[in-house]
Amino acid sequence: MTSSATVLIVEDEVPLRRFLRASLGSAGFRVVEAGTAQEGFSLATSHNPELILLDLGLPDEDGVSLTRRLREWARMPIIVVSAQGREARKVEALDAGADDFLTKPFGMNELLARLRVALRHAAQLGGQPSPVLELGRLTVDLARREVTLDGQELHLTPIEYRLLTLLAQHAGKVLTHSFLLREVWGPGHVEHTHYLRVYMAQLRRKLEADTTRPKLLKTEPGVGYRLKDD
Amino acid sequence: MALATALGLLARSQFAQPDFVMLYLLAIVAAATRFGRLAALVTSALSVLAYDFFFVTPHFTFAVDDQRHVLTFLTLFVTGLVIGALADSARAATRRAHVEELRSSILSAVSHDLRTPLAAITGAATTLRDRWDSLDPAQRSELAGAVCDEAERLERLVANLLDMSRLESGALELKREWVPLEELVGVALEQLEPALRGRAVRTELPDGLPLLSVDPVLLEQVFVNLLDNAAKYTPAGTALTLSARAVGDRVEVTLDDEGPGLAPGSEARVFEKFVRGGSAAASGAGLGLAICRGIVEAHGGTITAGRSPAGGARFTVSLPQPEAAPAVPVEPEAEGAAR
Repeated sequence: MTSSATVLIVEDEVPLRRFLRASLGSAGFRVVEAGTAQEGFSLATSHNPELILLDLGLPDEDGVSLTRRLREWARMPIIVVSAQGREARKVEALDAGADDFLTKPFGMNELLARLRVALRHAAQLGGQPSPVLELGRLTVDLARREVTLDGQELHLTPIEYRLLTLLAQHAGKVLTHSFLLREVWGPGHVEHTHYLRVYMAQLRRKLEADTTRPKLLKTEPGVGYRLKDD
Repeated sequence: MALATALGLLARSQFAQPDFVMLYLLAIVAAATRFGRLAALVTSALSVLAYDFFFVTPHFTFAVDDQRHVLTFLTLFVTGLVIGALADSARAATRRAHVEELRSSILSAVSHDLRTPLAAITGAATTLRDRWDSLDPAQRSELAGAVCDEAERLERLVANLLDMSRLESGALELKREWVPLEELVGVALEQLEPALRGRAVRTELPDGLPLLSVDPVLLEQVFVNLLDNAAKYTPAGTALTLSARAVGDRVEVTLDDEGPGLAPGSEARVFEKFVRGGSAAASGAGLGLAICRGIVEAHGGTITAGRSPAGGARFTVSLPQPEAAPAVPVEPEAEGAAR
């Protein structure tokens, strides 16, 4: 479905661009490259790519501010790339409108999985959202407010249900702590990360065979949570 | 100096006066080498006073009946100062040499640990590039796998070096949040999935364990390093057990392995920087456990090593939790489907 989609890579490190060009090219994407934020911005306007892969550490402009500038007019998914240990920067970029992030170093599988998820969500934005979300073993029927795992109905509290449907609607995508807190508990509770953590633990007890090895509800350290889809 | 005075008093009958001056000089040298210039200065001054008080006639007064003694006082004092200055610069030189030695040992440890995976990567990658056609698919995938594994090792080493430098520079700021232990353990297990493959890792976390007030990202690193360490120093395939319990106002987490255990007497040393276990096959700069200690201590906790009941090594992290976790508003469990 994604073949021949155009991906704009904004990355100043030549070796990394080389790897991205080869791996994305071999997966059937058309690749446009920029080495600076300035160049990236103008290529985004001229080529109108389906997706932007943006390094946060560019020489001429902060990646977060470039994300913000792009978001003033661009709807295509933006995936930011940054080094480990910069969780706060990732959260900033996500808040500025990025759709997801990749942590350096990352492998080909991870890269393609993120791209697929982002492109799929972008494609769904225009269409009618499906009332039934099928996510492997998990099914969420939004119309009937029913959640089943391996065909077994799960009994969830209203908050657990709200949390799970948010993650399921954005399956594969990272959702930040503050986004989930705002959506589930309201804007007055964005600082109360322990609410979220306690309810995620409860959900895991209902959904996961082993809560210390979650297969569905993944933790993104320092950033948020992601419902795995595959 | 008190010792010099005591000795001097005891031996007063047998020795001439200048010998007592020598005793005080000895005390000054001792103070200078042991404690530095300031101590030498203080000892010199006290020596002059004591010498005057105890050994110069009239005894047991500060009065001086012979002007020649003033010259002795002055000589004693100035000699003391010079000795102090000399000892000080000698100490600084030793310290510099020590820092230099430490730095070069760091450099050699680090460069060795960087070079080993790099050599493996270069070897595998050039073979793939230059001999692609003569390799069969199994060989290709083995070489490619080696590149991936070694790159991962490099990544962990670099992460450890960064963590260590942050700990040492004191730039570490704890961002405490209330977190369930199982989430921290889950992140660590996921991150180490490749290194732990083929092992049973049992987790025994009791229900009702309180939320911990910790910096989640840092504490995850503690568990990553402990598990990585266990994976490195125990035979492939042996089981690991991670368990936790609340003990008073502390939460204790232990990791037991079924490996050879720690060499007796090395239990405290393993947490020092650049100390590695005996196995030659293991790699790493010996930073992992030092980082664990740094992070745990920054949380006001302790980390210890010992013997597990099963015979392997046991690492115990104990974290104080003086404050009760904040309440989370409860909602009634919905009957049937959520509505």
